[in-house]
Amino acid sequence: MASDSSPANFNGPTSPDDSYSSPIGNTFSSPGDARRRSRRRSSTPSAFATPPPNQSRFATSDANPALTPTPSSRRGGRRGGRRATSTTPVNAAATPTSTDDAPASSEGGEGYDADDARPTFVWGTNISVEDVNEAIYRFLKHFRDSSTASQSEDGLLREGKYEIAIKRVIEIEGESLDVNARDVFDYDPDLYTKMVRYPLEVLAIFDIVLMNMVGRINPLFEKHIQTRIFNLKSSTSMRNLNPSDVERMVSLKGMIIRSSSIIPEIREAIFRCLVCGYYSDPVVINRGQITEPKICLKEECQARDSMTLVHNRCRFTDKQIVRLQETPDEIPEGGTPHTVSLLMHDKLVDTGKPGDRVEVTGIYRAMTVRVGPAQRTVKSLFKTYIDCLHIKKTDKSRMLAEDPMDVDNPTGRNVEDISFDEEKVEQLKELSKLPDIYDRLTRSLAPNIWELDDVKKGLLCQLFGGNALKLASGASFRGDINILLVGDPGTSKSQLLQYIHKLSPRGIYTSGRGSSAVGLTAYVAKDPETGETVLESGALVLSDRGICCIDEFDKMSDNARSMLHEVMEQQTVSIAKAGIIASLNARTSVLACANPSGSRYNPRLSVIDNIHLPPTLLSRFDLIYLLLDKADEQTDRRLAKHIVALHFENPESLEQDVLDLSTLTTYVSYARKHIHPQLSDEAAEELTQGYVELRRRGNFPGSSKKVITATPRQIESLIRLSEALARIRFSEWVEKSDVMEAFRLLEVAMQQSATDHSTGTIDMDLITTGVSASERMRRENVLSAIRSIIMEKMQLGGPSMRLLELLEELKKQSPGPEVHLHDLRNAVSTLASEGFVSLHGDTLKRV
Amino acid sequence: MVGLAYDLLANPQGAVRSTFEKAVASSGLDFDPASLDGKDWGALDLFRQFLFDQTHLSQVPILNGETIKWVQPNTLVRFRGMIQDMLGNEFYVGAFKDGDVWRTNKFMDVSHFPMPMASTSSPHMRVWERRLLYCVPVPGRNSWTEPSSELVVNRCVDCTSQQREKRRRMDDEPVDHMDMLVSDEGFQGSPSTKKMKEDGHPSVSSQTTEPINEGICSHMSMVPSIDSDSLPCLVKIYDSPESDLKLNDVFEFIGVLTFDSEVSMDKDDQDELSNGFSEDVLVHLPPNKVPRLHCLIHRKLTVPDFLHSSPIMELKPHVVKEIREALLRHLTAVLGDDSVAAHFMLLHLLSRVHTRVENIAVGKLSLNLTGFSKESVSLFGHRLSLAVKDLLPVTHCIPLTVEFLNSASLAPIKDYETNRLITGVLQLAEGSHLIVDETQLKAGTLNSVGVDNTRLLKNLMELQKVEYDFKYYKMEMAADVQLLIISEGKSNILPADIVIPFQPTSVDSSEVVAAEALEAWRWYLATVKSLPHSIESEMQKVVENDLVEARQSDRSIGSQDFNRWLTMGRLMSVSFGENCLSLEHWQMVKELERLRRERLK
Repeated sequence: MASDSSPANFNGPTSPDDSYSSPIGNTFSSPGDARRRSRRRSSTPSAFATPPPNQSRFATSDANPALTPTPSSRRGGRRGGRRATSTTPVNAAATPTSTDDAPASSEGGEGYDADDARPTFVWGTNISVEDVNEAIYRFLKHFRDSSTASQSEDGLLREGKYEIAIKRVIEIEGESLDVNARDVFDYDPDLYTKMVRYPLEVLAIFDIVLMNMVGRINPLFEKHIQTRIFNLKSSTSMRNLNPSDVERMVSLKGMIIRSSSIIPEIREAIFRCLVCGYYSDPVVINRGQITEPKICLKEECQARDSMTLVHNRCRFTDKQIVRLQETPDEIPEGGTPHTVSLLMHDKLVDTGKPGDRVEVTGIYRAMTVRVGPAQRTVKSLFKTYIDCLHIKKTDKSRMLAEDPMDVDNPTGRNVEDISFDEEKVEQLKELSKLPDIYDRLTRSLAPNIWELDDVKKGLLCQLFGGNALKLASGASFRGDINILLVGDPGTSKSQLLQYIHKLSPRGIYTSGRGSSAVGLTAYVAKDPETGETVLESGALVLSDRGICCIDEFDKMSDNARSMLHEVMEQQTVSIAKAGIIASLNARTSVLACANPSGSRYNPRLSVIDNIHLPPTLLSRFDLIYLLLDKADEQTDRRLAKHIVALHFENPESLEQDVLDLSTLTTYVSYARKHIHPQLSDEAAEELTQGYVELRRRGNFPGSSKKVITATPRQIESLIRLSEALARIRFSEWVEKSDVMEAFRLLEVAMQQSATDHSTGTIDMDLITTGVSASERMRRENVLSAIRSIIMEKMQLGGPSMRLLELLEELKKQSPGPEVHLHDLRNAVSTLASEGFVSLHGDTLKRV
Repeated sequence: MVGLAYDLLANPQGAVRSTFEKAVASSGLDFDPASLDGKDWGALDLFRQFLFDQTHLSQVPILNGETIKWVQPNTLVRFRGMIQDMLGNEFYVGAFKDGDVWRTNKFMDVSHFPMPMASTSSPHMRVWERRLLYCVPVPGRNSWTEPSSELVVNRCVDCTSQQREKRRRMDDEPVDHMDMLVSDEGFQGSPSTKKMKEDGHPSVSSQTTEPINEGICSHMSMVPSIDSDSLPCLVKIYDSPESDLKLNDVFEFIGVLTFDSEVSMDKDDQDELSNGFSEDVLVHLPPNKVPRLHCLIHRKLTVPDFLHSSPIMELKPHVVKEIREALLRHLTAVLGDDSVAAHFMLLHLLSRVHTRVENIAVGKLSLNLTGFSKESVSLFGHRLSLAVKDLLPVTHCIPLTVEFLNSASLAPIKDYETNRLITGVLQLAEGSHLIVDETQLKAGTLNSVGVDNTRLLKNLMELQKVEYDFKYYKMEMAADVQLLIISEGKSNILPADIVIPFQPTSVDSSEVVAAEALEAWRWYLATVKSLPHSIESEMQKVVENDLVEARQSDRSIGSQDFNRWLTMGRLMSVSFGENCLSLEHWQMVKELERLRRERLK
């Protein structure tokens, strides 16, 4: 064993000191420590007869197998033991032949344990190093993704996932191999358990096995490759880290709040003799310290205290200390966020900036605190930190993960990000089977907004969305549902908007008054430095696949509003300016809210006049809700009951069956991603019939342009709504009941049940009191009475008549029920619309 | 060996150790320290028995700016304070093997025995954890809540001398307490403690100012030095579930006071490693400014705990009614004979958030007295704030001016440089009373801080929540603060639940209130406030009908008004010491509301 003469390794396995220079054993050093050492050894050929394939030789170079750790070394012993044990078996098999013959030695790798009769254990455990060694080797060699393996028939012949990965790393001369811990678990749960429980030991073996494999694939590959484990099966909450987690592999989510500047950490120092100019061998860091050689090692010189550090021949690595803080959702009520320090090395340095949300995999470590720098005495305290192995940025600031909403693109970028827990899925499916799931979801949506159930149902449909369809011919049908809320002030429109904005993925909230056309779509800007023109996305493009909430829709300039025509039907934004002609995707649902034109809904005007938006735009909204403040005793009573209960009952009994926000969002995400309902024949039949009926109603004889008539757009809306409703039930088929509900929603939205189709006005009295037939009858009577009076008293083209006079006349003629001025006005305006009379202010003329 | 072999007051750590040894001994040779992880081995029972069953609690000195001058380290003290910040968990060597004997470090900072250099995985050592809480005296606490300390002082001077004597005595007992002796010496060896001791004793007699090590405090200018009212304390909590102690809760911690030289040493530690980790919060809390308290027992304090002679009165209806009448008379007098305002004032003083449903804090009743002018505010405003101060334990007053809004830091802010939560004006203990004087507000421009501050005040008012600024995100903390706004017109910045024009008819007041009456009122407010409350189903019907009727006749009445009436109804019947809303009280509420509406016209 030539290597035994290597100075660094001399007392390696037994001395506690070694623990401080071993890969992870030392709190002051990085995980890359020992590997560097092995590389260093390769650069000092004097000690070895064999040339470069050093990494494989690293295995052969260590102590002899008989040298088991001495239990007497109490503290360092464990790690010393690891070093010894982890290397001995390799030593036994990988004889010096391991230089060039990659295929041959791969066989040899599997036969490791055959040579060694006595199993070696990781100190203090019953883990056999050989077993682990072999398990890792098998895993790296043979693991195949279940999905890819099933795809190719010759799966057996194909290389394993990690063999490919290793080759790629070698090609790009990378420094690390990412290993998905879930893969490890799938392949060998036992290995996974060991890895999590004894990460220091198992990872060291991992690295050794990996380097063996690399050595076989490319013996000339010089760089060291580290294993980076990520995606542990379970992640710990920072709050729950406790002493039993020390020295285990943990995975944490959190937010980076501070990162230190990059600290160069010395790994190897080279000294030069000031007397003779002799350069020393590299001296490795030991216990966080470099010992300066006292005398020149050159035999001829041997000058005392002559060695000086040569800075630019020393090797440094980057180190950074980062502070991670709990994310707000993990903090219990009445607590402040916990923080933990992360130690990052090399490539991991600067991977996260303050403010980033990350998921970190690492080893939880505790470090004794010294009383003073020079003192050996330690306090009874430990400082804890995480030796970081892998860091992944997550952006879960919005409740819904963004990607689940990618309907068209299920094989998107971060597939593993969006995989739903099986358990969770079961739970969701269970939920979807509840008979009252539709109502339950409705209740769960903005529970603090009282009433407005039908509006919430519409919004729910918008969240779930219909199916986008792309025909082979190129025509496409949007699946997004657009909703407009028009209503009196103080009917919590804005709160609803804010709520949906918070809930929806990529929700953008703008206010109509402050938005310009370019702000909503996209604008072209010139880069001040290069002079190139660049496209900057506006709100609509940014909310692609999300919901764009526009408040104060009525206050928007016409110019800006016209931009929405294209977006709401074609789902694109086309730009042609400054030499750029582009069409950007804006597959967004629009949720807008507006006040009626006269700021309060005027029941005397028609719906269209009240909303006062161009019909072209209006027809693009699937649902237009009129939120009217109406006095309804029933509603009042429920409100009163609710509030009394609030004050006098146990809060527990108040708890409605509502889903919490996160369940709601996962439910929506899951449905959008996995459920793509289709129309059943029955439903299609119902749709056709309903539509015909709708058309017929719109074409009511004598109806003017003041009614929103059904157009083909309506039928598309209905399909979308029914699809969304089916999705709510997790059903793959749109049933007849869905279609009926969709029709109901459409009707309720426009309060069409209360609309007078001949005048286009909403019968407010109808809504408020529920009296309708008799009322309508009375009106008819008044109307005919007026008609006859006018016929009687007024000449065609004759002198005009004041309304009050008419009222007097009316009272004289029909002594029955009291006729009010506004009844009269209503009737007269109806007559005016018929072209029977013309009304100017308070006077009317027969025409 | 257990019993009272140690003076629990003067040497609590000795008692802890002896119980530990007993626990080890009782489990025999195969003692497994893991069995004690996160558990008590009987030490707490001993203390509990001593303090509560044998009522020695009053002998434990209360730690504050005064007592800190003479209280001895390593003795039992109590600290009353609000949890201002949570500094996370600390891992320490809980138990370790010294030769063949297991030792414990629980309830102490520095090991009293030589400890082996060890890694965390050694079988000869158990690592346990404890929570660090940064506590401050309850902000805005009124002077009458301070316990009269004369008695305690005498006794404690007494007991410290006993302790000294005891030490001397222990020196003579070489066998049993050898290690104890060693540790004591080691302890005294550390410079700052030594000095503390030398300075500490004379200060008892001469009553000089702080016995603080000058050398250290000069370069620690970051932390303001202790003024005697606001002595913070770093409390170390053992084995207690997280949900027990919440931010802004007021607790009494009983435990071991320690001084330890650790941090001053660390300061000079310039090696690269500690630089990286120097964000360690403890660096900014030097032990000579912030004493450490290893908490043995903690208990939540409520208002009755602040009352001196906690009169053990029963809630007899006539007694309550009498006190209520007297208090109402007093309030009427304070408010210049405006009895309607006094009624509202009484309800306001009794309000508390009893439930939170979604975003509604049920039970709050903020009051806005309008119609104040410059002159009347100086008279009545002052009188009112004095009256409130006399009645409630924790009160604050904010003069609302543009400059104040633009400059004050109302919300607590997390400082990531020091990893500390910097307190703000609105970090208040539960049940605090806050008077906002809006009469001084003049026209002016608000900057971004001002806008933020007004939003915070409004949120506190409407939702009883304060947003704490964690830089990367804001976190809402529930609060329970009674807000009283004094303004000229109706305050639009702070929309209160009740707006009532203040109409004083007489100016003279200066009635002298007897101390017993004050005590009784305090007791009344504290007791009645926490009464449970319910409603009978018949009454519920009546109330519902009334609400519906009101809304039918006036569409502008909304859920807010309903909430207000019901809160008033609850408080009204509670003020009579009753648990159930009666028709009579409901009528009174409606009448009050009618009077108020009349005034508003």
